[in-house]
Amino acid sequence: MITRQTSLSKNIVQFCRFLRQKGFGVTIEEETLSLQALQFIDYNDNDVFRQTLKATLCHNKTQLDEFDNLFHEYWKELEKAVDAKTKEDTKNKTAFQQQASYKALKKWLHGNENKETEETAAYSMQESLSKRDFAAVPEDEVEELMQAIKKIAKRLASKTNRRYEFSYKTDIPDLRKTLRKNLRRGGELLDIIHRRPKHNRLKLVLLCDVSRSMELYSAFLIQFMYAFQQVYRRMETFVFSTSLKRVTSLLKQKNFSEAMQQLSNENSGWSGGTRIGESLNTFVNEYGKKLIDSKTFVIILSDGWDTGNIDLIRTNMEFIHAKSKKLIWLNPLAGFEDYKPHVSAMKAALPFIDVFAPAHNVESLKRLGRWL
Amino acid sequence: MPELKDIKKMLHEQGYITDDSVAMSVFLSLKLNKPLLVEGPAGVGKTEIAKVMAKALQTDLIRLQCYEGLDTTHALYEWNYQRQLLHLKMVEHNNQPVEEKEKTIFSDSFLMKRPLLQAITHNKRPVLLIDEIDRSDEEFESFLLEVLSDWQITVPEIGTIKATHIPQVILTSNRTRELSEALRRRCLYLYIDYPDFEKEWMIVKNKVPGIDAKLAEQITGFIQQLRIIKLEKTPGIAETLDWAAALSALHIDHLDKNIIEQTLGVVLKDWRDTRQVQMSLSELMEKTGVHSKL
Repeated sequence: MITRQTSLSKNIVQFCRFLRQKGFGVTIEEETLSLQALQFIDYNDNDVFRQTLKATLCHNKTQLDEFDNLFHEYWKELEKAVDAKTKEDTKNKTAFQQQASYKALKKWLHGNENKETEETAAYSMQESLSKRDFAAVPEDEVEELMQAIKKIAKRLASKTNRRYEFSYKTDIPDLRKTLRKNLRRGGELLDIIHRRPKHNRLKLVLLCDVSRSMELYSAFLIQFMYAFQQVYRRMETFVFSTSLKRVTSLLKQKNFSEAMQQLSNENSGWSGGTRIGESLNTFVNEYGKKLIDSKTFVIILSDGWDTGNIDLIRTNMEFIHAKSKKLIWLNPLAGFEDYKPHVSAMKAALPFIDVFAPAHNVESLKRLGRWL
Repeated sequence: MPELKDIKKMLHEQGYITDDSVAMSVFLSLKLNKPLLVEGPAGVGKTEIAKVMAKALQTDLIRLQCYEGLDTTHALYEWNYQRQLLHLKMVEHNNQPVEEKEKTIFSDSFLMKRPLLQAITHNKRPVLLIDEIDRSDEEFESFLLEVLSDWQITVPEIGTIKATHIPQVILTSNRTRELSEALRRRCLYLYIDYPDFEKEWMIVKNKVPGIDAKLAEQITGFIQQLRIIKLEKTPGIAETLDWAAALSALHIDHLDKNIIEQTLGVVLKDWRDTRQVQMSLSELMEKTGVHSKL
């Protein structure tokens, strides 16, 4: 049964397991590191102890923010577990076993992953989450899409190259290579080798709507984003519905289906309603100033069905429009012949859009290449 | 090697006022020989930590400022071409074989060491500050990762240079882009936010000696309010200190509307911000508890 671990190190190993269940990617190496760290500090002081673990086990701001709560939760649960043990001895354990937290603790102490645990542990219950399998993109369409996207990307790249060549004469001699080449002739500089700065300095910011109204297209959109991520180094990708989430690094680390899986598992409000205004606002406030400059293309993929604040859309679209090189809005619905953008959100956004285009099939994507 | 309490003391002596998490991270980074990755908004004293660390270790601080397009010739080494050419001219009429000439001009004395190479060949274990790593390209980040794990640098003409000492590394980032998970894994992580009122007040009193206590309180309160508003460029601690020093030099002992308006340029560096704050100045002053005397 559950007892307090006799040694500190065992407790820490357990705690790391607990963190992993809460979504921390704690590796064995980090576990070792935290144990190593303990020899340098006075771990009888609870605060010092907590800070030590925090400093060794966290790797980003989100984790730092969550850590203290999880830490307290863990030790509290553990205290309880000890109590439970005592109560078990006095044959009075039923009440405790009913508690969800107790069950959760029991489950992970025994290493069983359980759906129930996951649900107890979920921090946000407000956002409606429908389980949906993003990985179910039809195989035959995947290939066709990939081809189209690669073509667009290539065209985009070559176009920017040409543009650079006309406007700049930035050849500068490459002294290192020049010297090497001419050394054979006694060091007299006959041939000068030039180098040119790398061209493809284009930045792209993608904002993709993944709300329920976009359900049909979401798989397609992710595919679109993902292919671009592979081709373009300097590119940031965000997804939004009720809230905004930066997925740049996720798409870089995972392959397509893994990334799909993880995104649909996370509680970022996928398939909830849409709040374009709020999401854009988060984007502008947190990332806008840093990510957008006059060399940045911003592409928004959304149908414009919004349940949120219209004014926010207007002000934030204005900001993005002013700061970026070009603001492109892709709307899958615009592919229908009789489509008129009279959704109020769309109307508010329209004055600030440089290019408004459909993105409902491969054909429309090909055409998009022209605008970039 | 200093203990945790020594680090705290040192931070304090440097006028670095912060919470214990900073001291803990610095301490563990030293003890465990791990690079320390420091994130946070601009102007909260991320770079200061490196200075404190160098002092704690009584060693030199080597700084590598990252920027877009930073490449190995600026981070690692470069051959001193002018010197090489001059040397070749000088030995032009010697009948030295080309191989020999080549050997001479690609030797240590023609090599210009840039921060990374400097750091690993330093005669004493230095502190290496890699500032604003988020501004560098991702290729550079991966390259850095390699250096941080192997601690050796290969110069084709010379061979592999192994580190004489493994430097104490501090990386800072303003979060303009997300750093790779691989880099994060290699480091201890520390996030520093803007200080709360109490802390900032302490900092002001500490760094601007002779400042009127009341004025320091008002300045801090006002800045704290400014940070709540959505500004183009949120003022950091540096701005607070500049402002405090400026007002102190003017022998002012309390804030009023006139003074704020006249000296706002010390704090706000964007015309839109200035306009916005000017328009809501009365409200701001009320929140801060500063009342116009006239």
